[in-house]
Amino acid sequence: MSALALWSRRYGAMIRNAWLVDLQYRAAIVLWVLWGVTEPAIALGIWWSIAGDGAVGGYDRADFARYFFGVMLVNALTIAWDSWQLDRWIREGDLNYRLARPLHPVHEALADNLAYKARSAGTIIIVWLVAASVWPAVRLPLEPGRWALVALAVILAAAMRFFISFTTGLLAFWTTRATAIMELHAGVSMFLAGRVAPLALLPPAVATVAQVLWFPYMLAFPVDLLTGAAPTGAALMRGFAGQLIWLAIWITAYRLAWHRGLRRYGAVGG
Amino acid sequence: MKRLDVQALKRSVGVVAALVRLNVAEELQYRANFVASLLGTLFWIGTALLTLALFFRHTTRLGGWDFWEVVVLLGVFNALTGVIEAVLRPGIGQLASEVKSGALDLVLARPVDAQLLVSLRQLDLWRFTDVILGLALSAYALERLHRTPTILQVAAFLVALAAAVLVVYAIWVALMSLAFWFVSVENLSVLFDAVYEGARYPVTAYPGALRFVFVYLVPIAWTTTIPASALTGRIGPAIALGAAAVGATAFFLTRLLWRTALRRYTGASG
Amino acid sequence: MSTTPPAIAARQLSKDFQVKVRDPGLRGAFAALFRPHYRTVRAVRDVSFEIAPGEIVAFLGPNGAGKTTTLKMLAGLLYPSAGAVSVAGFDPWTGGPEFKRRIALVLGNRQQLVWDLPAQETFLLNRAIYDIPLPDFQARVGELAQLLGLEGVLDKPVRQLSLGERMKCELAAALLHRPPILFLDEPTLGLDVSAQDAIRRFLAAYRDRFGATILLTSHYMQDVTALASRVLIINRGRLLYDGALDALVARIARTKRLELVLGDGVTEQRLAAFGTVKSFRSPNAVLEVPRAEAAATSARLLAALPVVDLSIEDPPIEEVIRQAFAEAESEAEA
Repeated sequence: MSALALWSRRYGAMIRNAWLVDLQYRAAIVLWVLWGVTEPAIALGIWWSIAGDGAVGGYDRADFARYFFGVMLVNALTIAWDSWQLDRWIREGDLNYRLARPLHPVHEALADNLAYKARSAGTIIIVWLVAASVWPAVRLPLEPGRWALVALAVILAAAMRFFISFTTGLLAFWTTRATAIMELHAGVSMFLAGRVAPLALLPPAVATVAQVLWFPYMLAFPVDLLTGAAPTGAALMRGFAGQLIWLAIWITAYRLAWHRGLRRYGAVGG
Repeated sequence: MKRLDVQALKRSVGVVAALVRLNVAEELQYRANFVASLLGTLFWIGTALLTLALFFRHTTRLGGWDFWEVVVLLGVFNALTGVIEAVLRPGIGQLASEVKSGALDLVLARPVDAQLLVSLRQLDLWRFTDVILGLALSAYALERLHRTPTILQVAAFLVALAAAVLVVYAIWVALMSLAFWFVSVENLSVLFDAVYEGARYPVTAYPGALRFVFVYLVPIAWTTTIPASALTGRIGPAIALGAAAVGATAFFLTRLLWRTALRRYTGASG
Repeated sequence: MSTTPPAIAARQLSKDFQVKVRDPGLRGAFAALFRPHYRTVRAVRDVSFEIAPGEIVAFLGPNGAGKTTTLKMLAGLLYPSAGAVSVAGFDPWTGGPEFKRRIALVLGNRQQLVWDLPAQETFLLNRAIYDIPLPDFQARVGELAQLLGLEGVLDKPVRQLSLGERMKCELAAALLHRPPILFLDEPTLGLDVSAQDAIRRFLAAYRDRFGATILLTSHYMQDVTALASRVLIINRGRLLYDGALDALVARIARTKRLELVLGDGVTEQRLAAFGTVKSFRSPNAVLEVPRAEAAATSARLLAALPVVDLSIEDPPIEEVIRQAFAEAESEAEA
């Protein structure tokens, strides 16, 4: 059978299983989605207060509302939990039977991602549609060209975050603190990825540091594209270039970590 | 009305002492974990301060509060999360999974008040350092405000803080007791964590809708805003009376809820 | 002498682990943080054996003997520190997907079945992973379900199954791609007697029907007696015995143990008249008697003394191994 058919069948089966398991944990998924909603909601609440009737750093209340709804959606579409999942697989011996199968474990992780992203993003889209029906501030214009760009940026961001999370999880081959490293990353990304505020509101020095790293491409760039605050022309191209470059870097990091990690696993067992 | 059973009380105190001793012995083995957890707490306090600094870059007052007043509140928030991590999450926080697995039956078979046992049998004592750090942060912020609280204010603060602990405890009991009715609910503590983030800021910082949620629906605003206000002098020490009443009511409600839930539990499994 | 190449061949296989060593106490803890000391643990030492296609071989040994480590080297999860290993013509560590299609690995303490879904879903997943054509897949599922007695079990969520049913489903899931080589780590661990029996009978039938080579680790003697024609005894990383089962039993397990729960008034002296008293803690006692006399002695005991409960057991595997080791030593000296 052709390779395409084989891989479609494999991903189909894995996504289906992940989806069915998620169905069992409906309530748990709702709770996690809630988390993804409360953090931006609280930030929005504070900025709403601060903005008052004017604007802060070029953002008025409506801009903030659009921004943080954008954060909710893009985060749901791009967040990756593989760091914790891999850490558990490695520590609890669940990696062994996966390594004995003729399928690289990264595929199962990818399929899992597709399943839960679809579910949580779906929920947030519904929430957003409901909100947009009563709150004009959060409505977005429907230009097909822009939506295509948004989709591209989101996919690139999701891919990069996946490889960041997976690679960090692979650190569990060497340390028991892999999840702590991921939490450190999450803490830093609160600022540099734009979770707590649009990047324009950061002190210039911090914003510069962010631009040099991969954080803006995780979240802020796709969100700005989504809400229409995005740069155009050359700046837009730079944004996509940044996404591609960092994606390539993190894929390389993942391959290195996998190769070395497997070697170490074969030395010390698990 | 039952006479106070001195013997039972003595036994309960003895049980608490034994539990504390056991947990200390266990925890002394995990020094590395302690250091890691301490670093973690310092990191998250740092991020919280940076977030505040970011907000205050664009405003001089948040909900009418000065920067250092909000830092006092942040200290209280950390002290409370310290209590949550040290006592609530390892104790009552396990209730949902114990109901599901049936392990609760073992607890009910013991000749000690079940609610006491469930709430206090597992203590993560090292997390009390979070409490100390939080209070130290508040003290430092008071120093920066050039405000020394009077004895009365400190007393009011402590009463309000104790009441806050009881309110948070009541919220946890209410949340966990959902497990008696909806057995398939997992990860309930995630719900609390997500929503409790709202207690980081003074309740006046939120716009109307959120304020309503945090004051009346999930009354977490009381847990940090009131104690912090008592300490900084925003509210007079008489608030301690109100807080004490709220705390006592909260505790009474937990007893009520517990008994109702247990009646249902033992009735159902009989 | 057979001209077909062995299914599994190990030559001077060794595996060393580096284990962190630290002094007790606070100072030791700090020292370990900055200058960790390591000690080499030799988990497997110079193990050599060959297994022909279609053999069922049991790896026997106490906990920590090196069975699972050896198994993992054969499955390609660990690489040897020294020596060579070949499975189905491949080097397991570098064999890749082609090698992995030829083996099945079932680890007793972890399961590959998706916990919240019916076993059938894991079967479908494996079908996709191993690229099994649909008609073959359906036929094999039916076949395995019949051999294992899985009617009505496949569509219940795995978490609702008993331990025995779960293990059977686990085996079925692992065998859908009909690998020629099976690695089973403690497949009967923790199961009740009837489930253990069912799995042993299944494995024998599977080998008879498909000619698979089966290597299982165990610390149950019964796994060996019911299933394996050949047994490899491992202790402390060394291969102590490699040979036919009957010979081992005849040589080593010359005794049986009678485990007793006694009534009132039985003294140790009275019991000693029937055999060697291995332990006496009223009302429990363990009596050792020659294998051939076990039944007769039991009958006499029951007639003569107040016995509440009696069971006839093989000597514990540790004793069999100690004896095998002692005999191997004395043979080497001879």
